[in-house]
Amino acid sequence: MIRRPNQNRTIILLVAPACVFVLVFFVLPLIFLLSQSVLPEEGGFTLTGYRDFFESRVSRIVYLRTLKLGVIVTVICVVIGYPAAFVLARMPARRRSFLMSLVILPLMTNAVARTFAWLIILGKRGMINQTLLSLDLIENPVRFMFSETAIVLGLAQLFLPLMVLPLVSALENIPEDVLEAARNLGANRLTTFVRIVVPLSSDGLVLGATLVFTGSVTAFVTPAILGGPRLLLMSTLLRQKVVTLFDLHAAAVVAVVMILTTLAVNLLLRVFRVQQS
Amino acid sequence: MPYLEIQDLTVSYEKNKPTLKRFSLNVEQGELVSLLGPSGCGKTTTLRSVAGFIQPDSGQIVINERDYTRLPPNQRDIGLVFQSYALFPHLTVFNNVAFGLRMRRIPKDELHSRVANALKMVGLEAFADRRPSQLSGGQQQRVALARATVIEPQVLLLDEPLSNLDAGLRVEMRQEIRRAQQQLGITTLYVTHDQVEAMSISDRVVVMNQGEIEQIGRPESIFAAPETAFVAGFMGFDNHFSATVESAQDDKITVKWGGAPITLRWQSKFGSPTAGARAEIFFRADNASLSAGSEAGGLAGSVILHTFHGNEVQYLVETAVGEFSITQDSDSERFENGAAVKVQARTQKWIAIIE
Amino acid sequence: MVSRWMYISLVILYGFLLGPFVIIFMAGFGANANLAFPPQGFTLDWFANVFETAQFIDSFWISLQLGLSSTIVSLIMGMPVAYALVRYQFSASGMVETIFSAPILVPGLVIGFAMLNFFVLLGDMSVLTGLFIGHTAILFPYSVRVISASLRNLDPYVEDAAVSLGANRLRGFLLVVLPNMQAGIAAAFVLGFITSFNNVPVSLFLSGPGVTTLPVSMLSYLEYYFDPTIAAVSTLLVIFTVVLVQAAERLLGLSQFV
Repeated sequence: MIRRPNQNRTIILLVAPACVFVLVFFVLPLIFLLSQSVLPEEGGFTLTGYRDFFESRVSRIVYLRTLKLGVIVTVICVVIGYPAAFVLARMPARRRSFLMSLVILPLMTNAVARTFAWLIILGKRGMINQTLLSLDLIENPVRFMFSETAIVLGLAQLFLPLMVLPLVSALENIPEDVLEAARNLGANRLTTFVRIVVPLSSDGLVLGATLVFTGSVTAFVTPAILGGPRLLLMSTLLRQKVVTLFDLHAAAVVAVVMILTTLAVNLLLRVFRVQQS
Repeated sequence: MPYLEIQDLTVSYEKNKPTLKRFSLNVEQGELVSLLGPSGCGKTTTLRSVAGFIQPDSGQIVINERDYTRLPPNQRDIGLVFQSYALFPHLTVFNNVAFGLRMRRIPKDELHSRVANALKMVGLEAFADRRPSQLSGGQQQRVALARATVIEPQVLLLDEPLSNLDAGLRVEMRQEIRRAQQQLGITTLYVTHDQVEAMSISDRVVVMNQGEIEQIGRPESIFAAPETAFVAGFMGFDNHFSATVESAQDDKITVKWGGAPITLRWQSKFGSPTAGARAEIFFRADNASLSAGSEAGGLAGSVILHTFHGNEVQYLVETAVGEFSITQDSDSERFENGAAVKVQARTQKWIAIIE
Repeated sequence: MVSRWMYISLVILYGFLLGPFVIIFMAGFGANANLAFPPQGFTLDWFANVFETAQFIDSFWISLQLGLSSTIVSLIMGMPVAYALVRYQFSASGMVETIFSAPILVPGLVIGFAMLNFFVLLGDMSVLTGLFIGHTAILFPYSVRVISASLRNLDPYVEDAAVSLGANRLRGFLLVVLPNMQAGIAAAFVLGFITSFNNVPVSLFLSGPGVTTLPVSMLSYLEYYFDPTIAAVSTLLVIFTVVLVQAAERLLGLSQFV
């Protein structure tokens, strides 16, 4: 780090424009949102919005469902992503970089396009139903759409790269020597994996899990397409409150609960990181 | 009139913890002075203050009778060679060297001939079109030197320029830098933490410690007669013990060595010593010899460890006044670990420092 | 450590990640209108339909303009921030970093809703301006992070070298720092553009009459029609993205910044 004269003035000049932008155009609307959730149109400060939210059976179910599906999606991503990331991390660099670009590619395509594929797979006359019908395993098409399973599949596909990327970068930092040392000291493959690889990659695992979980509980497109108007998650509930019911006060409450949920998860991540170091 | 004057320079990064404390130094025209000291001693801070990258709290920097203290770094006529070389990665060798001349709006013809001359001086004419990443460390170092000197600066500053090179190349580059400096007659400040490098390249050496000057002098005098314990330690006086002054004359003092008196040269920053004062005695590993424990004279001790180094053998000897490291010609009598020995003082090159 | 059976995990991973794309491609060229599987016959009608649907063409242009403008603005404003964070040590740096990572922490849908409330409903701002502000804000974290990474790869002393040779700070930045950051800037640009171009949640509430982004208009098309036109749009988008990303990867090694 270099120290230079007139530091403070320079730093302020460099940072101020963007800071002002973010504060005025990003932080201020959020503060307004927060105030909207506790100041109803009738006036006065009240927390009834939050009470109503947690007392209402519907919104409680939606909230818990959102969290539940978030956990399931995260677990699926770990189960699929971890072994794959391990294989990727141990590959020669050139082949790995090609395969990694294939992991990044879906991330660069919009969620509507990626979710649309599930309509073709899960639809009434979709791939799975047609296959089952042609095998005579079922007589009438099964309804896969608008189910929790459909949402989970869509979200897992959407967020799997966010699990694989941090895992690969954590795993590729484990030197081969360390694994050989463990084997040399008498550990078998499984023990080496559990006692050496997993602890050394826990950073990437926790980061990936945070990204997948927060992504899943706030995603909009997937539950909108695959969940339909009946099977709501927090995000689709928020849209319903705004667009269908035009209840901005209740919508603000939903929005604040969503922010607090993601902040809490990210705070947990930070605590974990502090403990690690 | 000195060419470069640094007067009472004080720099602090944190309040009340000055990195550099009232540092003063005069450098004559064409002289090469090195700043020598461990990391954190303030040598790089001094250099960066002269270059203008650090604004001192107080003090003055005068070059060729012009006050430089408040001048922005880009308006100072100073060539700077960085430890990392700091070559511009996107520019060819030619354009790296030409950069300073372009900033000075030197006409094209003159620019070309000056860059060509500078590259010739460092032997890189054939590499003008290469990028820095295509050069070896030594070649990058040469480009950095050419880039800093082609602008014909009033003062040349070198910040640990050889620390990224391997040992053999370091000696070669040292000589090359010295040759170029003398050829150009350029006033130079050279920062290093390597005492051999400082002594071999400099007209004068400034030994620094904790933001202050410990000693300034010609390499020979600093090597032979350090004025402080710090300088003695830094100059390779490996052995040290404390003693009480028995008697003092003008330039000699007498202390006890194994019961018998020995007479030593002394150095002090705080006036003449008197009998009963405390003296710190320093000597190098090759300024004492070992004899069998049965012999008369010397200080009794026993060998803790001996290691063979080819031409010489190094002994670690434990005595009543401390552990000493002593090297002996490998042809001389050898002693095993545990052997009783006498340490015989060769006091001509010993030094007593009174603090 | 890697045993043969572990390669199965790669098959599962890539099957799951890329399988849906294969299905979209197939559906886009299939002749049956009801999305039944497997598609029968071959037709380019759905692609023709994409170009005949004004909704898609208009929203494509909006998305393109929005992506370009918000990416450029976030880069121009984010670059000095990255520079300050990487090159200077200052007490508020932690706070500045938090401010510029905040837009990632807040759910996009909430950002869009907050902006709708504050700017459009309360402040009577045009929807398009709201979209521009929202997209610029969510791109800051990417521009600051990618530019920071690219700055960290450059020896900080090259700027001092330029200054010691007579350039002032600004000139030193333009002549020495900027040329060496080309790859990072281009990577940040591609990443930012794609992020904006694909965004649904922030844009969802900030749509008005005639002002919709492409992904949002794809979503609303899905609510009325259930035919392979979306598959055709998606196919075109995938090709567009692959070309863009592969070009960036080949030229700049994009993945090192993601």
